[in-house]
Amino acid sequence: MAPAVRVTERVVLDLPADIAAIEEAVERAVEYCAPARLDRDRLRFNFRVGLTEALSNAILFGGGGDRDRSVRVELRVGLGEVRARVSDRGGGFDPGAVPDPRLPENLSKPSGRGVFLMRALMDEVRFNEAGNEVTLVLRDTGGEQTPARPGAGADTPGPAGLVAPAGRGNRPPKHAAADAMAREMRLAHDLQMKLLPPIPRVRGVEAAARVVPAESVGGDFYQVLQLSRGRTGVMIGDVSGHGFPAALIMALVMSAAAISAQQGGAPATVLEHLDRAIGDELASTEMYLSLFYGVISPGVPEVAYANAGHPHAFVVEPGGTARRLLATDPPMGIGEAPFRESSAEWTPGEDLLFLFTDGLSDTLARRGRKSGEDRVLSTVAEHHHRPAVEILERLFEISAGAVPSIPADDRTAVVVRTG
Amino acid sequence: MLHGVARFRILLRSRPTNCTGRHPFRKNLMSFAQRIDGRTVVFEVDGQLIVGNRHELKRMVQAALEDGARRFVIDFARTGYVDSSGLGVLVSLSKEIRAVGGDLRLASLNQDLQTLFDLTRLDTFFRISDDLEEALRE
Repeated sequence: MAPAVRVTERVVLDLPADIAAIEEAVERAVEYCAPARLDRDRLRFNFRVGLTEALSNAILFGGGGDRDRSVRVELRVGLGEVRARVSDRGGGFDPGAVPDPRLPENLSKPSGRGVFLMRALMDEVRFNEAGNEVTLVLRDTGGEQTPARPGAGADTPGPAGLVAPAGRGNRPPKHAAADAMAREMRLAHDLQMKLLPPIPRVRGVEAAARVVPAESVGGDFYQVLQLSRGRTGVMIGDVSGHGFPAALIMALVMSAAAISAQQGGAPATVLEHLDRAIGDELASTEMYLSLFYGVISPGVPEVAYANAGHPHAFVVEPGGTARRLLATDPPMGIGEAPFRESSAEWTPGEDLLFLFTDGLSDTLARRGRKSGEDRVLSTVAEHHHRPAVEILERLFEISAGAVPSIPADDRTAVVVRTG
Repeated sequence: MLHGVARFRILLRSRPTNCTGRHPFRKNLMSFAQRIDGRTVVFEVDGQLIVGNRHELKRMVQAALEDGARRFVIDFARTGYVDSSGLGVLVSLSKEIRAVGGDLRLASLNQDLQTLFDLTRLDTFFRISDDLEEALRE
């Protein structure tokens, strides 16, 4: 546990809204943070990168290219904790909109990792309501941090962070645009929910899937497909970005995926078809998409799969061991065809194929712990012997009761058992 | 319990207009050294690869690409940190190089940098070598 924080020092840094000023501001901030006596490596790396991202956003979005505007960093340095509040004078940010056209194309492309990195590397990241201020917190982790030194609030990374169209997609909407936004969000969610197909009833296959949409995001989806020769196709995806653009991408993927999968293609081939179908749309909207597609064939002791940057795909054995089905390629929109394919051992009647999106594990991430993924996996391990639908019930029960440490995202999970 | 507030204003004296990637305040705080090893052009990132200097690296690599170079190694042995814009520029350079049949390798990522690539799954996008020697050998 972090010790009680006694504020000993407050430092205010004002810098011009010019990216050339970022580095000096960051170096100074690091120096001022020395009294916190945090782990040197985390201060040197996590804090520097996190603050650089926050300043880039403040300057690129809040400065609007006007160097005369200024950006403020307020540091509160206490023993065992550093807080950096970065504020700009921008007028807020609409996450449903396309990237700010005032931004030179070359400043915002290929973008979208900023907020993600902040969240991954800092222990706490909070945006204000107006959307022009972010507070980053780095705490003493009591020596618990792994060599990789992710922030305590970090989860195994996923596209939700990779994606936000202009790197600041999780900033809340500006008040003036809030009504229109809310309408758009509702439409996007209606679309998302209508598109999700029912799980086919197939002999020898037990599958359950659920999406619980967040208020402001639309873009998770799944498909369980009955293929020829008794095979089963299982897909999960998470579209970056928010609102209607994300829901539109999702709709395109869902229809293209169903067609391509029904033609019986191998997993990598299906991903290539999808990439061809939506690649232009992804490029023009600067969105990304993580997508896992696996095929289980009767009598074959393996799952064939292709995984474009989806972080949470597992085969869970009855003993509780979870084997991660690693990404074979980066997310669509970043990676390019050809897509690779891999396979994992599969014992029909025993193993579970278990896929989920960050929304679920983020909800369960607890302060001071590396990831909510452990909790998700241990829940599945504990209820492994139960019907798939009950495993899902349990997962969503737990996540409903959790106080999210990260703003809400769609929560999606798929469980499949064969044989 | 505030013990006082220190206030500082960071001034911008000049914009970095040269293509060395040098920081306007501190000499050599960051720069990109370029050299040629056989058929490979090697860039060393000395300091940071971030939003403020990524274009310099991009321009240097593009210039070499225009001159006909096809094999590139970017060496991070002396790199402090990389931000999301830095990752972005590496992604777009890699695409440009691949588009003309070239090859880009990244070398000598320290543990922090490796973590960034793992976190963003870019470890599957790039060819990453343990050190420069290995990158040049392949």
